[in-house]
This record gives sequence, C-alpha cells and structure tokens, in this order.
Amino acid sequence: MTLNPIQPASRQRYEQLEHTADLALRIYGQDLRELFINAAFAMFSQLADIEHMATPISRQVAVEGIDYESLLVNWLNELLYLHDAKREIYAAFDIHELSPYQLKATVRGDRNQDIRSIIKGATYHGLAIVQTAEGYTATVVFDV
Amino acid sequence: MVSKKDLNRIEEYLWEIPADYRSDMRVPARIYADNDLLEAALQDRSVEQLINTACLPGVVKYTLAMPDIHQGYGPPIGGVAAMSVKDGVVSPGAVGYDINCGVRLLRTNLEAERVKPLMAEIMDALYHGVPSGVGRGGDVRVSGKDMDDVLEQGAAWAVKKGYGTKEDLEHTEEQGALAGARASAVSRKAKDRGNDQLGTLGSGNHFIEVGEVVEVYDQEVAEKFGVFLGQLVVWIHSGSRGLGHQVCDDYIKRMQGSLSKYGIRLPDRELVCAPVDSPEGQDYMAAMACAANYAWANRQLLMHRVRTILDQVLAPHFKGRSFELIYDVAHNIAKIEEFTINGRTIKVVVHRKGATRSFGPGHPALPADYRSVGQPVLVPGDMGTASYLLVGTAEAADKSFASTCHGAGRVLSRHAAMKQVRGEELQQRLAKQGITIRGPMKGLAEEAPEAYKDIDRVVHVVHEAGLARKVAKMVPLGVMKG
Repeated sequence: MTLNPIQPASRQRYEQLEHTADLALRIYGQDLRELFINAAFAMFSQLADIEHMATPISRQVAVEGIDYESLLVNWLNELLYLHDAKREIYAAFDIHELSPYQLKATVRGDRNQDIRSIIKGATYHGLAIVQTAEGYTATVVFDV
Repeated sequence: MVSKKDLNRIEEYLWEIPADYRSDMRVPARIYADNDLLEAALQDRSVEQLINTACLPGVVKYTLAMPDIHQGYGPPIGGVAAMSVKDGVVSPGAVGYDINCGVRLLRTNLEAERVKPLMAEIMDALYHGVPSGVGRGGDVRVSGKDMDDVLEQGAAWAVKKGYGTKEDLEHTEEQGALAGARASAVSRKAKDRGNDQLGTLGSGNHFIEVGEVVEVYDQEVAEKFGVFLGQLVVWIHSGSRGLGHQVCDDYIKRMQGSLSKYGIRLPDRELVCAPVDSPEGQDYMAAMACAANYAWANRQLLMHRVRTILDQVLAPHFKGRSFELIYDVAHNIAKIEEFTINGRTIKVVVHRKGATRSFGPGHPALPADYRSVGQPVLVPGDMGTASYLLVGTAEAADKSFASTCHGAGRVLSRHAAMKQVRGEELQQRLAKQGITIRGPMKGLAEEAPEAYKDIDRVVHVVHEAGLARKVAKMVPLGVMKG
C-alpha cells in the first residue's frame, strides 16, 4: 500500500453501517493519512458532538503496528485509552508520520463534556484497508 | 452466507453444521434454536462467525451457539468454544472487550406490590446515587497496592473494605476471584483506566433493574434460592469497565505480533490467539483473571451502593428489610474446566462470550446451600419484558460444556433501534406498562424492547434442550440505564 494522494470523488468522511450488536463505521479517505484522521473523527463523533468543539488540550500520540490494518486498530484504541484515562475527547488530528509500522500524531481536544456513550474497543473484525478509485476505505467494527 | 440447507437437525432444538462444510473447520458448529430463532441467526453473520471459531487450533468437540446468538466480532455473541489446555489456544477476542461482563440478582424480603407506589422515588435515588461512569468517574479510587489487591482478590477486596459480607462471596461465581490472577500481567494503561471506575455502571446495555417475581416454575428450587411469588428482586448488570477493555486490547495487540511465531492461520484477525501454554497465553490468562476480578469487585461495590440506597428509601415504610445476593454470574469469560469427552477427562479453556455457566446438582464449585439443586443461572431480558432465574443441569456438561444462554439477544442494531424508537416515547410507553425508567434518552432507545429477541422463546429452548431449567420469571418495575 502506498501513500500516493488520490483526488477524492466524494468528501464524505464516514458512514454508519448496520450491525446487530456493535457499531460498524465505513471510513473514507483520499489517502491513508486522511483515512486514519477520518477514522478517529468518526469514532469520536459517536461519543460526542465534536464538530464545533474547542480544542485547548493537545497530546502527542505514537503507535506501532505490523501493517496498516493493525496500525489503524492500534491508533483508534490508543485514542480510546487517552479518552478514558484522561477523561478527554478529541476533535482534531494531525498525523506527522505514517508507515505500516509507525504512526506519530498530535491530537487536540478538551475535557469530557456531554458524553453520549462508551466505545469499548476498535476490533479487527472483517477489517481491510481497501484502495478504491476515490482513495481508500476501511470498515471498522467497534465493541460498544 | 450459510443457509438452512447447510444445517443438519440433530434434536428438536439443536442444529449442526458439519466439520466438512468448510475446509478450515476442525470441529462441527452447533446451534441451539427453534425454527424462528435459527432463521433470525441466519440473517446476519453470526453463524459464519461461529464457523470461524470452529477453525481455532485445539478446539474440541464442537463450537456452540446459544439461542440468543447474534453477530459480534470474532466469535458471535452467545458463542461457546472449548480449547484443549494441552494443545489448544486462548483467544482474547473470544472473551471480548468487556471481560467478566456479568449479572447479579438480589432477593429481598419485601412484597413488590407494597413497594410499587415508591418506584419513582426508588429509581430517582438510584439514578442520582449510582455513578454511571460515562464522562465522570466513581468515588472509590484505587491505585498502587490497592489496585493490585483488587486485581488479585476481586470481590473479597471489596468485602474486606466493608462493602458487603462473606455470604456475598459464597454466592458469587468463583467466590468473586478467578484463580491465577497476576497483577503484573496487567499494563499500567489498564490500571490507569481502572483507578476511578470501581463501583460505576457503564453505559450501553448495563443496567440496574428492580423487578417482581411473577411466575414460579419449580417451587423446590425457588425455595432453595430464597425466591417467592410476588417478591421484590434487584438485578445489576455491569462488567470490568475500561480496565477490562484495555486488557483485551493489550493482548490482542501482543498476540497479533506472535501469530507467525506459532504458525497460526486465522479466518478473522479478531480471533487472534496464542497457545494456552505459551508466554502470551499464560500472561493473557493471568491478566484476564485480574480483569474478571475487577468486574466482581465492581459489581460488589455497585450492589453495596444499591443496598444502601434502597434501605434509605424504604426505611420509613418497612421494618426489617433484607437484600441478599442470590448469585452472580460472568457471561464474558474464559475458564479452565474439566469435561469428559469420549470417555476421557480433559482440561479445556471454555470461552463463553455472551454465555452463562450452567453447573448441575452436586458440582463442587457450587455453594453448600445450592449444591443439591444446581447453580443459579441468571438471564436478564430487555427493559420491557421479562428476565429469568434458571438452574444448571448435569446434562449441560455433556451437551454444551456446561453453558447456556445469557439474555434475549439483539435483533435490531443500535442504529436501527434509534431510528425506530425515540427515548421519550419509549419512557412514556413503558410508564403505561407500569415500568419506571431512568437514564439518558439516547441510550434508552438503543435498548428498546423491540431491539431484542423474544426472551420467552430463548429460555424455552434452553429449558427444553436441557441446558438449564426454568425456576422463576421476573418482570421489571423500574430500570436504570447507564
């Protein structure tokens, strides 16, 4: 998988799919970096209204993986850890480095406010990062 | 997609997908269901998930789905898989993120009819007094040595601190502490997440329910469990909170890296696993036991809080109130248990993901006062219908690795439920049925009764199939959602 940017046909960041017990989100990105950013945005959008949130708190995040799929799961779960342990919610994501084995980012957010629900974890279930004509897509199932 | 023609009907309520259905299956996959429940299971990917689980190394006999089966990730929810300790694997995804999610049931000495006029007051007091932990922590903080003690001692830690009695421990699966817990196997991150979440309910389908016994099917067993017609009872459903989620995440991550070392190939990465006797497998078992113990301490603290609140509200109205624990069961857990297969007794790791242990009469793991009748099996339903108290059977050991159903099982996604049902309308509809609801409106709609299967049918199947027997039916009077 490469990081070549591809022109987007659609700017939709994500959509929610039907899943009997858990939460399934299909994420879109014109490149991998955007896919990872949109995945984090989609996840936190489930927890709170983050569209117009102030982001006074900034945190550095570094995760490792064995391929892009594991990196995506590890990235999302690292953010869930920070959210749960620090009681913060994140709305802005800046990825500085992205390889199949490492991701470095700065995330910005605020103390938890008006949290709608809990996500227990991002899973590998049926996860594949797929290259499409528009860029990349991945479907992530979350335990909620 | 698997279709009905791929299944063989073995008994009236038992179906089997033979091991030759797919080349990577090691054992058959069995489903306990009636026709309609089976049709429902075939609508989503749950049966495919059950087949995937039948591919794991060292899986013995067959994988099983309970009648409340529904689609999860990795194995289905309502799934049971037993792997040989000698040459099998343990899989964190086959336990789930909410390690030792479970339920406990309390009996009171009160008649529900006399308490009904106080339901709004009771539910308000519970809603204000029990922290849900969504967006804020609880008021019991543990860290350092105390955290290690919680992880290694479970509910006994809570009792030692004054939150309950030794009778509570006797009436908890594993006495509230799973053997083999080693706090050093739990990451700092997991402990961080756990330090202010003890005694908090969580969100989603976690709840506290005040109910009434409306039917008794087995008088003798009901008496043993201290249950009578018209009785006020209390259900508490919660798990290991963020600490358990982190343990699952940590070990899924670690095992993704060790798959190639052990030459394991999987049909779904979420089924990631490691040999039971490997360092990864042993560390997971030790950490999972810690998370299970955290969950038991959590439910013990929740129960203590509930008892205190109920006692305060009811004190002006009733003399001599008692709130005793009937039993506490885990329904997301992996346990080392012994079973006889083809005349040989072997040790297996039974993964129960949305399934309840169902030990029959005489089992040494049961408390002395219940041993002659069997283990109480607790099957909570949705907030508008019914819940069941069952009792374990001896034949469940042969049929289902001593396992049975854990609830009603979802049919509608949370998304679909929210589209169909509005929280406020649901609250009003349930109020008309005499059920007082407290909780965030969005969460209410996700858990609407129409999102669940018919629990009466689910319980009928496990009763008829011999996986557990009906003892009593209870209906909700008040429900607090996290």
